[in-house]
Amino acid sequence: MYPTAQLLENLHQQTEQHLQKAVSEWQMLSPERLGQKASPEKWSVAQCLEHLNIYGRYYLPAMEQAIQKAKQRNSQATPTFRSGWLGAYFTGLMLPQTDGKLKTKMKSPKNAIPSPAPDPRAMLAEFIDQQETMLRLLREAASVNLSVIRIPISISPWIKLKLGDTFQFVVAHIQRHVVQAEQALQLDRQPTGQVFQRV
Amino acid sequence: MTTNDEMQTALAHLRTTTRQILPLPEPAWDDFADIWQPFEATRKVVLTAEGDTERHIYFVLDGVQRAYAVGDDGRDATLVFTYPFSFSGVADSFLLQQPSRYFFETLTPSVFLRSTFRQLDEVMLKHHAVERMIRLAISHTLAGVLVRQIELQSHTAEQRFRTLLTRSPHILQLVPHKYLASYLGMDATNFSKFLGSVRV
Repeated sequence: MYPTAQLLENLHQQTEQHLQKAVSEWQMLSPERLGQKASPEKWSVAQCLEHLNIYGRYYLPAMEQAIQKAKQRNSQATPTFRSGWLGAYFTGLMLPQTDGKLKTKMKSPKNAIPSPAPDPRAMLAEFIDQQETMLRLLREAASVNLSVIRIPISISPWIKLKLGDTFQFVVAHIQRHVVQAEQALQLDRQPTGQVFQRV
Repeated sequence: MTTNDEMQTALAHLRTTTRQILPLPEPAWDDFADIWQPFEATRKVVLTAEGDTERHIYFVLDGVQRAYAVGDDGRDATLVFTYPFSFSGVADSFLLQQPSRYFFETLTPSVFLRSTFRQLDEVMLKHHAVERMIRLAISHTLAGVLVRQIELQSHTAEQRFRTLLTRSPHILQLVPHKYLASYLGMDATNFSKFLGSVRV
């Protein structure tokens, strides 16, 4: 149980960090770099982004519609939010551990597996669009009830998560694959903070 | 939360900028400095919407913003980017106190000083030097708008791209490229191709 405002603020900040990375780093890389795979069975940055975009294409409109409908019904924000057990479980599965490593190796559902060579520029542009949409939805969510509004999960229309949990799960999922994308790039960092590619 | 130190630093930037336009005598500067308040906004916040009358004049301390129009086809046309340390807001709506034709939004988290039309008007009435300074600032802005008109008519997309980069080399790393493409009247794919050619 925590203050709703704090929850939304944290998610906003995480999304802002994801955007910063996409805009100031990934935008500056060549499409070839974004499409490079560290090894045959690992995903490139572009594939990580396609995977995230597939989820975003479902969840963002679903959350948007739910928020709009709730506003029409005069939904009211509540000061605190408590995760449902399933929402908390999904979010927990997604998050990297404190050392940055990913906890469980998970197989994506079939329809969320990225294509072998997605267009890197298009995937990055869509990812950026989706994060901007996420920022907007987080702001709009501040005025509705994050517990009562429920969103069906993408793999089953009968299982619904609280809106607050959906936001958390989706942002945690994004964080997971942002970490994976960083690993795909294998960037070396100099002490001054400048970024060089490992040759 | 803006500390006193932060406010002093902010005002120092404001003074530097206005000094470059026209140095103000101390009493005029003091009254001018008094009308500004700190203000912040996160990314993608629309500060002024089409149809609103722009109440505020902004001075940018951090971040990038843009003014844009939405066409009948629903597509954005970006008018201008603003960044530190320039004035911002919808200039014509503010100066004329008429409904804005444009949207004004943050493209990154932004930090400003801002004031209101009423406060600026009062200080301009009290100090002729402030009115002069504002008039000169507007003249420079007008000169820039005319230059851009000619660029749009007679420069190739590539020339306009290089001009943008010369004026603001960091902008590529600060904002999503779709906004730069919109400003240049290019579609996003063409812009990426130009980016590829410039990097080499």
